[in-house]
Amino acid sequence: MPTVPSAGNVKKCVLGAGLLIAVLGPCTATAALGQPEASVKSDVAQMRGSVKVTDNAGYRSHEIQMPSGTVVHEFSGVDGKVFAIEWSGPVMPNLRQTLGQYFDNYVAAAKANRSGHHHLEIHQTDLVVRSAGHMRAFSGIAYLPQAVPSGVSIGDLQ
Amino acid sequence: MLGLAVLSCGGGGGGSSSLTGGGTTGSTGSTGTTTTTNNVVDVVVDAGPSAPSSATVNTLYTTVKVCVPGSTTNCTTIDHIEVDTGSFGLRVISSALGSVALPLQTLSNGNSLLECAQFVDGYSWGPVALADVYIAGETASSVPVEVIGGSSDPVPSDCSSIGPAEDTVLAFGANGVLGVGVFPQDCGSTCVTTADNQVYYACTAAACQPTTVSSESTEVADPVTFFATDNNGVIIKLASVPAAGSATVTGTMIFGIDTQTNNASGSQSILTVDGYGAFTTAFNGQSLSRSFLDTGSNALFFDDSSLPACSTSSDFFCPTSTQALSATLTGQNDISVPESFTVANADTLFSDSTDQVAFVNLAGPYPMASGTTTFDWGLPFYYGKSVYTAFYGVTTSVGTGPYVAF
Repeated sequence: MPTVPSAGNVKKCVLGAGLLIAVLGPCTATAALGQPEASVKSDVAQMRGSVKVTDNAGYRSHEIQMPSGTVVHEFSGVDGKVFAIEWSGPVMPNLRQTLGQYFDNYVAAAKANRSGHHHLEIHQTDLVVRSAGHMRAFSGIAYLPQAVPSGVSIGDLQ
Repeated sequence: MLGLAVLSCGGGGGGSSSLTGGGTTGSTGSTGTTTTTNNVVDVVVDAGPSAPSSATVNTLYTTVKVCVPGSTTNCTTIDHIEVDTGSFGLRVISSALGSVALPLQTLSNGNSLLECAQFVDGYSWGPVALADVYIAGETASSVPVEVIGGSSDPVPSDCSSIGPAEDTVLAFGANGVLGVGVFPQDCGSTCVTTADNQVYYACTAAACQPTTVSSESTEVADPVTFFATDNNGVIIKLASVPAAGSATVTGTMIFGIDTQTNNASGSQSILTVDGYGAFTTAFNGQSLSRSFLDTGSNALFFDDSSLPACSTSSDFFCPTSTQALSATLTGQNDISVPESFTVANADTLFSDSTDQVAFVNLAGPYPMASGTTTFDWGLPFYYGKSVYTAFYGVTTSVGTGPYVAF
């Protein structure tokens, strides 16, 4: 069981959720980023993967192992919502599924990308995507900066 | 147009004169003396096939000739093929093939074999076909290639869900890509053993399903590995670029290592790489064990929180003044090489230069996800150097691939 709740974290998450409402629009049950962690199950099913859940200080990690060898981590906070997704492996994950409402933003930014086929950096108020690598070795992270739990550093997620 | 530009510039490139003379020899051979194959092709950094409206930056191109296998007439010569040491195999945008219809590959059950080539900024969907590929004086016979956009088969959701389609010359920024990295095939054993590999698909008129391939030799492969000789690696040699940038950069790609007099191993440092093509970079107190050299990356990409991202070109760094930095590259064999580099303000570079598309001092942030420890040494690393890429499992006079050397 998670042992993470604290007053500070909850307050930050509520604020984050409030700021995100306009962007999120109506909730759908198919995507993970910004959605309740229950939606991780649909990602696991879509990716035909297996999942391992680990509780860390301030957040929970859902590690999804895909048949292709790529590993996806989905991170949820004390509010139970997924605030970040990481991937690493020989192929890219299904970003339409894992980014959900943010996928269209991602596609628009990728089309405007000036940094070639092996690097992509999207830095928006409500969405950060950093994706890089080459054929047979990709890695990246997508997160909602306003939903990152207090005290949790994106660079330290595991 | 590209071909002319490359040829006219080739002789002027400092330090490359000994190489550009390596035209096809043995063409007469009346005395029956030893003949050698022309193993040198010109490469160039320019604004790309869709310039000036959509100019590319730090993108390396070459020209290849593609034929229907066995034909000497059903052929086309394609310029602006990107040279990419970060991918594996030849992929051509279908429109660049013109009327040349390459034979499409089928699986044993009669289904068509299609591929979802994945890139960080999108996907390229198309059938696998066989082609004879001619580069310089070298020939790759019946090599599996991908024809991007060459199919009406519906794109599988797993493929289209990684980003935008890159199936036109404009979207791709090239007429195709020649992947000459350390691996011979684009997927390897995973696609032989695992159907759900997200790379290869078996298609009927009705639908496409994930599939295994019968062997690695049926995967899209680096044509260089199909050459009769000069097939164990490539050497990419580029001219230097001044701090303000260049409108074009000329250079050569030499096939083979230690197979002819023009590709001998010298005093270069040999850095062996692992199963990801990676070595270690020591930078700013970090040990970045998944570092790689990559002509397909158009900048140096690394994590450095002291360098601000640009306001306009957020893919890149924009320090207020040009920064001089250094790092040390160490192979899996513990051979180390120091490297100095500079990082300029990318917004300034782009705004000050209307014609320049080659920048030695262009850099940007690499995503630092957990467990990801990478310094991506993109094309700026290659300027002013000869960089050897020895393929997986090959032997040269100085070592066994995969390795990089410079």
